[in-house]
Order: sequence, then C-alpha cells, then structure tokens
Amino acid sequence: MNACLTLQSTVFAHQDKDLIVARITRNMTHQAPRFVAAFVAAAIFMITSVSSAQETVAVKGGRIITMAGEPIENGVVVIVDGKITAVGADVSIPVEASVVDATGRVVMPGFVEAHTAAGLSQANESSNPSVPYLSVLDGIDPSRSYFKQARRDGVTSAAMVPGNSGMISGQAAVIKTSGLFVDDMVLKSNTAMKISLSPTGGRSRMGHLSALRHELDAAKDFAEENADADVSTLKEAVRQQLQLAIVKLVTGKMPAYIYCADAMDVAHAVQLTKDYEFKATLVLDQDCYKAAEQIAAANLPVILDSTLVFWETDPRTNESERIVTTEVFRAAGVPFTFQAGSSNNSTLGNNYLWYQAATAVKYGMPRDEALAALTIRPARMLGVDQFIGSLEVGKDGDLVILSGEPLKNDTWVETTIINGAVIYERSADVQLRRLLNGDAKDN
Amino acid sequence: MNMTITSVLRVCAALGLFGVACATSVTAESTLYKAGTVYTMTGDPLSPGQVLVTDGKIAAVGGTVNAPAGVTVVDLGDDSCLLPGFIDAYTQTGLSGGTDEFTAELTPDFCPALAIDWNDRGFAEALAAGTTTLAICPGTENVIAGCSCLAKTNGERESRILQNDAALFISVCSDPARRNRARARPDGLYNRLPTNRMGVVWILRSTLDKLRRGRDIEARDDIESGFSGQRPLMAVARTSHDITALLTIGEEFAFAPPIIVGGQETYKVTEQVAAAGLPVILGSLTTGSANGPERTELAYNQAGLLSKAGITFAFSGGNLLEQARFACRFGLEPGKALQAITKTPAELIGVSDRVGTIAPGMDADLVVTDGDPLEFTTGIRFVMVNGQVFEQ
Repeated sequence: MNACLTLQSTVFAHQDKDLIVARITRNMTHQAPRFVAAFVAAAIFMITSVSSAQETVAVKGGRIITMAGEPIENGVVVIVDGKITAVGADVSIPVEASVVDATGRVVMPGFVEAHTAAGLSQANESSNPSVPYLSVLDGIDPSRSYFKQARRDGVTSAAMVPGNSGMISGQAAVIKTSGLFVDDMVLKSNTAMKISLSPTGGRSRMGHLSALRHELDAAKDFAEENADADVSTLKEAVRQQLQLAIVKLVTGKMPAYIYCADAMDVAHAVQLTKDYEFKATLVLDQDCYKAAEQIAAANLPVILDSTLVFWETDPRTNESERIVTTEVFRAAGVPFTFQAGSSNNSTLGNNYLWYQAATAVKYGMPRDEALAALTIRPARMLGVDQFIGSLEVGKDGDLVILSGEPLKNDTWVETTIINGAVIYERSADVQLRRLLNGDAKDN
Repeated sequence: MNMTITSVLRVCAALGLFGVACATSVTAESTLYKAGTVYTMTGDPLSPGQVLVTDGKIAAVGGTVNAPAGVTVVDLGDDSCLLPGFIDAYTQTGLSGGTDEFTAELTPDFCPALAIDWNDRGFAEALAAGTTTLAICPGTENVIAGCSCLAKTNGERESRILQNDAALFISVCSDPARRNRARARPDGLYNRLPTNRMGVVWILRSTLDKLRRGRDIEARDDIESGFSGQRPLMAVARTSHDITALLTIGEEFAFAPPIIVGGQETYKVTEQVAAAGLPVILGSLTTGSANGPERTELAYNQAGLLSKAGITFAFSGGNLLEQARFACRFGLEPGKALQAITKTPAELIGVSDRVGTIAPGMDADLVVTDGDPLEFTTGIRFVMVNGQVFEQ
C-alpha cells in the first residue's frame, strides 16, 4: 500500500485534479469506440470515431494478396466508410465509389509493426522505473518523421510501446500511422503493459527482479483488498484509476510485453507469466536466440530484435559463428514477427520492416510466412486481427498498392490507404525524391 | 542456420568434390562449375555459363568449356549465379591496436601489414558476405596517413597479401583536427596543429610545397610516389567543399588525379569531379538517417547520380552486395551495381590483373548465389578464395 501512495503523490505533484479526471474519462473513451462500433454497429459511435461522411473507395485491377486465402488476380477491394465491404474478382464497383486503379500492381494488407517506440516523443520515463499507469497515448507525437516514413514503407498500423529502459513502463496502444492528433489514430488503447527485465538505475538483476515482483505483489494485494471499492468519491476514483492498469495485468485482463535483454531473462519472463498468470509477448534482444527452445516450450510469441543476422566469437576458442535469429526460431517452432531498427542504427536496410522480411526469406523462411509476419501474424499477436492484418470483409480498409511483387528489389509502395483514405502516394512524395537524389540539379 | 567458420573450412570434400585444388596445392586438379548465369564482368553475362578452376586459378570460362577428361563437374543449377569475389576498396578490417597516429600528422611510411590481426572476425564476416579481397587502409585522422595493404579474406598467410604498399592515403576533411585540442594542457603535445580544417589543408599544402621546392622532408619517397602517380593516391573527402578543396589543391600542385574516398556529397559537384576525371570509392551507404558522416547530406541514389555523370565509382565499407542491391533500388542500373563491387574496385586499388573479373589466368575467387544476385531475398551459397570453397 505504501508503494501505491507514493505513486499517487507523484502524480499529484505534477497534475491537478481536473487533468486526472480528464485522463480517466479519456482512457474510458479510448477503450470503447472501435470495438463497440465493430460489433454492436452503433451508428453514432461510427460517425464520431471513424469518419464524418459515407465514402466509398474501390481499388481495382491488381493482384490482391489478401493474407486470407489464395491471391486474387485482377480483383477489386471495396471500402465503404473505412471498412472493407467486398473483396474478390467478380465484385461490382458501386457507382458512387472513387476508383483507385491498381492494374498491373499488387494489393496487400497494410503492414503491421508489432513493437516500436519510434512514434513517441520520449521512449522511456527516466524519473521512475515503475509507471504502469502511464499510457503511450500521452507521448505519441503524430508529427514525428517516423509516421511519414511508415506510410511510405506501407506500415499502416503500429503498436506504440514504451521503451526498454524501465521496469514497468506503461501501457501500449495500437495506432494507425496516419492522423493529425493521437485520438484520430488509435485503433486500440491500453493493449498491453510493458515490462523490462533489463536492470535500471544501477540495480543488479537480482534487485531489478525483486523490485518488479514487489510491484506485482502489491498490485495483487491491492486488487484483492479493493475488489468492492466504492469509487463514488473523486479521491477514491483517482486512487483506483492509478492502479487500474497493473491490476488488470495481475488479474489476467491485460497482457504484457516483456523485454528480455539477455537469454537469461527469458526464464524469468516465463516464470513471471506463470506466477502472475498473465499472457505475454517477448521482446527479444539479440542474445535471446539462445533461449529459443525454452520459449518454444513456454509457447510464447516473440518479436525479434531488428538485427536478424550477427556474429559471435567464443572468447575462449576464438571460434566465430554467424547467427541468423529467424532460422533459430523457425527451427524451434516459435512464431515471431519483426521490428524495424531505429534511425540511429546504421545497419543498412534494417530500418525498413519489409527488409526484415526479405532478410528472413534470404536465409530460408518461406515467402508466404514472411508476408504473414508483416501483416496477419502481428495483428493476431496484438489482438487486433478482427480489424487489420488481412483484406477481408468487415476489416478496416488499410492496404498498400505495390508496384510489383512484395520483397522484390524494385518494388515500391505506390499508394497507402488507411481507413479507406489515400494517405500516401509515391508520385507525390517530394521528400522521397529529395532523399534519393538530394538537391541534384536535374532531379 | 548457424555457420561455424571452422566447420565451413571443410574443403570441397564436403560437397563430394574430393580433390579440388586448394591455394597451396601443387597438383593440377581441376573442377568445372556449371551455373545458370556467369557474370564475368568482362562482357555480357553468360547464361548458362561454365567456369573451369585449376589450381586456384581460373583456367577457362565460357558458355561451354572444353574440360579435360576426368575433371570434377559441379552443376550449380539453373537458378544459380557465379560472380567474381567482391572487392572492398576501403576498409579497416583486421587493423588492430588503433588506426590513427595521434602524435604526428604526417605518417606516409606507415604500413598496416604488420598490424593486421589475421584472425580478426571481420575477415570471416567479409568472406561470408562474398568479399574475397580487401584494401586495408589506415584511419582518417592523419593528414598523410600511410599506405594500404591489399589482402584476401582467407587463405594461407603467404598467399593472402596481394600488395603491401599500395595506395597512399591523405585526408582532406576535418578528421585530423579532431583530437589535437586538449583544453587542460594548452602547452601540451595534444594541442597542436591542426585543430581545425584550415590547418589540415595548410599542412597538406605546405608539405606539397616542400616537395616541389626540394626541401628536406621525412619519407619523401613515400609521399612523392603517391603524388606523382607511381601508386594510387586516395583522398578521404566527404563534403562537397572537401572535394572542391581537393580539386583546387590538385590543380595548384598538378599532382596525379587522386581517388576520392567517402565522397558522400560528390553528387553535388559531379561536373567538376567528372571533368577532373576523379574516381570515387563511396563510403558505406546508410538508410537510417538523412545525414551521413560529418553531417553530409545523403542522397540515397548517390551511385546512380555519379553513374549518370560518367564518374567511375566503387562501393566500400562492408556488406558490399547489400549496398549494391540498395543502390539499384535507389536508381542505379543493375549492371553497374555489380561492376562497382568487382571490376571497378579491383582497377582502383590496382589488382585487376588478379581479381575482379572471371577470366582465364585470374585468381579463382568466386561467389555463388541461389538466384538473381541483386534481389534482397537471394542468399550466397558459397564463396571461393584461390579455388578453396567456403560453404555457407
């Protein structure tokens, strides 16, 4: 309980009551609209949360890789009011539709990035390692270059997750990569809690793990003691709200991302999921390939480090070995997805999500599986596959039109569509021309 | 799929090619490789093509080759491609114990050969990526830094070095000014000229001036051989003003045309560089940010822009095939991309009589890929150095 009081006063020191009330209200609204809209089909919610007018878009004439069945040659995708209403070869195009011609091109679901902090103005809360009540929604900066680059590379949804340098670092959200304000971008908020097993603040691993367990135990106690708490007073409502997320975690209602810096952390991660009975996706650093068998046995999904191929030297024998993590995890039967490298990583190409898939194919991954790891697999991992990840009726109208077959060298994203709106066109991408050819005179 | 270097040292026996000549072998054993496509780099690709390797050298190449009776035949398959081993024209791979001398600016007689750790992992990494020849060069923090050492990425020690005193290196950039300033000790050794880029150029000009006037100068022969064209002169210059400074000094002292190393902003001054006939060894391509070393303004399609301007260029700095692939994606013609990691760097560093093309008499340094070498999804099946196969 002491821990809880500390958290509370920390927040009060920085924010006034009105702000906290606003946050409570906003968190509630973030939870609801997309799900309600999809299943209850409450028109009012639809109108306020998705788009303001009925708009029909038809993508026509391409080879459609739906990621849900065989590709469709010369097919049509119809999107009405942001949702796919028809996919197929024999689909009639509504008269009111604005038509996007994809003849000779390849149409695919937009790519889904399963873990990134690149859209946050700061990735980590450095003042306090345990901040489960924080939400990335308060730190996403829609004007960051990440989003522009993502749309250019065909990434239409991304899980924004607090960085790896904390302990309990806050709640992730799945957002679309297009929008002026965060509220326009959210697909699902408070999707998972970020936990890091890499020690912070001068702690040893022993100290870090002990502090982490202490927080989780305290949350469990809180949950038990406050099962029937009266939240009619503001003070009590705020107190409950601060504990809401971590209570959800320890009561199995919210999954976790667990960052493992070294292979040894994997065992702790697995144990945590057992002891506190929550689901987890492991965010792995390079070294964790050594724990592939253990991960397979625990049946946990993983997100690979952006460096898929690297070398290690045995310090005693001086033997060098090339590690290809995609092949290690494929051999162990662990399903994985990719994350793109950060912009300060100088490894050529690994800042492109598609390049991660191409690299995996180079070393043996079947192409279809690599494409799934860019689309439907991360959508499932994030629990949003009823909205995104494949081109199927009822899902969001998020797709990319490629100039050729995916993963080919000369294939580019020509058009990116999110919620039925064309939000990127290569032909109008002035910044790309500048990146490619600088200020050279004849370009 | 892990690759243990010691385990891949299995010679061709593992492939059922018992008896293929190793670098040091004296018996004239031959192997005929049949590939879907052979990129000879001396003309159009042969499709299909055959390469006969005898005693670590290429004995014959063609659509079909008249192989001697009893020769071992390896059919690599219709999708396979054979290329010359790649050549990295600028790297510090294996150079141990530091790459720069901090106590002197002019070290023209420095030579990396005896400072190379031949067991360095960098060689194995380069080999696995298809690179068979490296130009191992001194660092960039000396105005005249020394010379490069040309070596294979594997093989017996004696046969590994192609040339000891290859190109002479000068720096026309800010790097030599980097560590000469120590605020704590204004009178100390580490507070000396140059502490800025003007000082770098001044040292270079005054050295050239002494050379011209016949003044006493240390290691005169080493400096002179570089500036007189007896051996390649390589100038590290990245920004457009580095490059124009190099052109100006070159004109002033009328020295042999240097090779630009780094050259990230060459695309901004293509006319001048093309007119002066300077080739460029491009520094390692990055895509993560909009800026390169020294905050140079990157143009991802720099190779395409140089090609269009008629400037000779090579890629360098590791990961050569991947760099060539990205260069194509960003706008370079495919044929030129492969040239820039094989034939052109061989010519620029001065070893084109031995490596860089697939032709009779050349070293049997080959790369075998599973498909189109310029596709990101294509893997390297094996690499050969002096006829010795290194499996992936």
